Amino acid sequence: MPFDWDERFESMRAPIHRTIRSVARFRHLVLLLLCGSLPGASPARAHEPLRVVATTADLGALAREIGADRVRVSVLALPTQDPHWVDARPSLALELSRADLLLYVGLDLEVGWLPTLLLGARNPRIQPGAPGHLDCSQFVDVLEVPTGRVDRAQGDVHPHGNPHYMLDPRRVVRVVRGIADRLGRLQPAAASHYRSSAEALVGRIERARLDWERRLARLRGTNAVSYHRSVSYLADWLGLRFVGHVEPRPGIPPNPRHVAQLIAAARAAGARLLVQESWHPTNTSRLIAERAGMRLVVLPTGPDVRRGESWTRYMDRLVTALEAVP
Amino acid sequence: MAGSGLMNPDLSVVLDVAVAYFGPRGQPIGTGAHDPSRNGFNFQQLEVAIGSSVDPYFRLDAFLVFSEHGVEVEEAFGTTLALPARLQLRAGRFLHRFGRVNATHPHGWSFVDQNLLVGRLFGPEGGGGLGVELSWLSPLPWWLELSATSMTASGAASARSFFGGRDLGVRDPRDLLHVVTVKQFFALDDDWSLLTGVSAALGPNATGRANRTDIVGLDGYLRYRPTRGAAQNAWTLQVEIAHRRRQIPRDVLADWNGYAQLVWQWGRPWAAAARWEYGSSVRGLDGQPVEDPLDPDWTADRHRGAVALTHWPTEFSRIRLQATSDFPAWLDAPRLALFCALELVTGAHGAHAF
Repeated sequence: MPFDWDERFESMRAPIHRTIRSVARFRHLVLLLLCGSLPGASPARAHEPLRVVATTADLGALAREIGADRVRVSVLALPTQDPHWVDARPSLALELSRADLLLYVGLDLEVGWLPTLLLGARNPRIQPGAPGHLDCSQFVDVLEVPTGRVDRAQGDVHPHGNPHYMLDPRRVVRVVRGIADRLGRLQPAAASHYRSSAEALVGRIERARLDWERRLARLRGTNAVSYHRSVSYLADWLGLRFVGHVEPRPGIPPNPRHVAQLIAAARAAGARLLVQESWHPTNTSRLIAERAGMRLVVLPTGPDVRRGESWTRYMDRLVTALEAVP
Repeated sequence: MAGSGLMNPDLSVVLDVAVAYFGPRGQPIGTGAHDPSRNGFNFQQLEVAIGSSVDPYFRLDAFLVFSEHGVEVEEAFGTTLALPARLQLRAGRFLHRFGRVNATHPHGWSFVDQNLLVGRLFGPEGGGGLGVELSWLSPLPWWLELSATSMTASGAASARSFFGGRDLGVRDPRDLLHVVTVKQFFALDDDWSLLTGVSAALGPNATGRANRTDIVGLDGYLRYRPTRGAAQNAWTLQVEIAHRRRQIPRDVLADWNGYAQLVWQWGRPWAAAARWEYGSSVRGLDGQPVEDPLDPDWTADRHRGAVALTHWPTEFSRIRLQATSDFPAWLDAPRLALFCALELVTGAHGAHAF
């Protein structure tokens, strides 16, 4: 049988009630904060810059060049971070909560962290299906789309295809136009500005591409090795031929047996180049490169957006790094 | 139907099994429903997670758990996607957000077994119930989230400090369990993160219609993960403390509970972890230890220490070795437990919160 409340212990409730009364005292502050979070108080107003949040530095750099002072761009993953492995820090959700436009690479590159941030952002403007939600992979032809059954025994494969298309300027110009089109939809009054700005950027990229292709022409047909399958689009553009990868399967760390096989394969193919990003460890790559007579090139991994570096300047650094191959 | 596969929800299956040894003194005294509980092979659980957007306004997530005791709906809730003013609503059966570890599932833990704090205060399945949660992300320059939950106060395995297994029904809102949390995140720099929280769980208990249980807690999570270079190391320090007060006839019982754990991950595939836990004896209004009707054996302070070594062959498989020494002061000697646990994840499992 339940016992009844004993009046002697009424005092136990007091601290809770005091807390409620204290909160009530600050009701004006609470109201102010609530008003600050209403849609009408959000920054996406006609006279204010559009808030663009890009998951990666390369997309952020493009958006900044297209939008100039009409957009305020922030980037979730630093260029030094592997975009497969980003901590879903709540501060990133806060950025997304204020965004008018989300740009992401797609093809499951950000699947390990973006969905939880998007849910936590509580921002209907950038949810899937909303005009502020832009999967940039829709603008490119995708390589390495698996055919047949996809299984994790194949490693951490991307079932919709290779997501590392931002290393190919031919595909990047399509992304530039796609971003400009979406910015124009969100701010129709500035659509012509975005369009002309994008075309100017496309012109700069195309001119730079001709220069990069001239400087790297001698690499066409070169056999090479990469750490991860992140340079497939670079190879497609420059005519490199990858004869193996340091990872035996995508996302699987190398083991001694695979390293021995890769060294043999690279020697047999006369590979001259081993490329990888700075977020992968270099000790195994260095060993493989030395044993197989290859040059190890650690590629820069994205524009330094904090210093205002453009995507073309970043690619210029990448091309310069590849030029060092004898 | 062409294209129907594209409309299927994300589906994943997580298997947890373990081999355990509990030392010469015998029986384990862990608190978790899915902790290894006997010498030899243990089937901890098989979790099936299903989740997808329902429409532009709702998302549905469900977690079904299969164990040797049967099947249970661990969580099944809808989440709003389009409320204004940074509000979000969850409705259904779910684990409430008291503290840091309560709302997580075993495969998100750094150890094989459940924290004493959660098991003692809320129950072997973790604190939860059927109800509704409203959360709000403030417009302040840093991340600050408030949440308020009202849910059923019954459930021997999920609300033991409240109605527990003796559901006295709901006559007014005071017969529900109310959980309030305030969480704040500070990005100290690119590499350092700090998440802090204050929580309160307030509800009725089963010793009398008007008798109340109040649990208040603090939690902190400090993480260092370099964002430059290839080291892929990370350090995390996680601390929770909670104070519980329960009215019972002619007395008010109070106790303290807490833990601290440090995890060092080096490279992507390895981590070492150490955890210390504490649960005080229960004291009455006069400050003297008294018998706890919920845990009659828990008559003195209890300390438990554990170390664990984890290896992830890939992000979808995990092997964990753990040694635990339990020091309940009411027993004559510590209890030792050794675990070797295997976890396998297949399918599309949703990303975890920070």
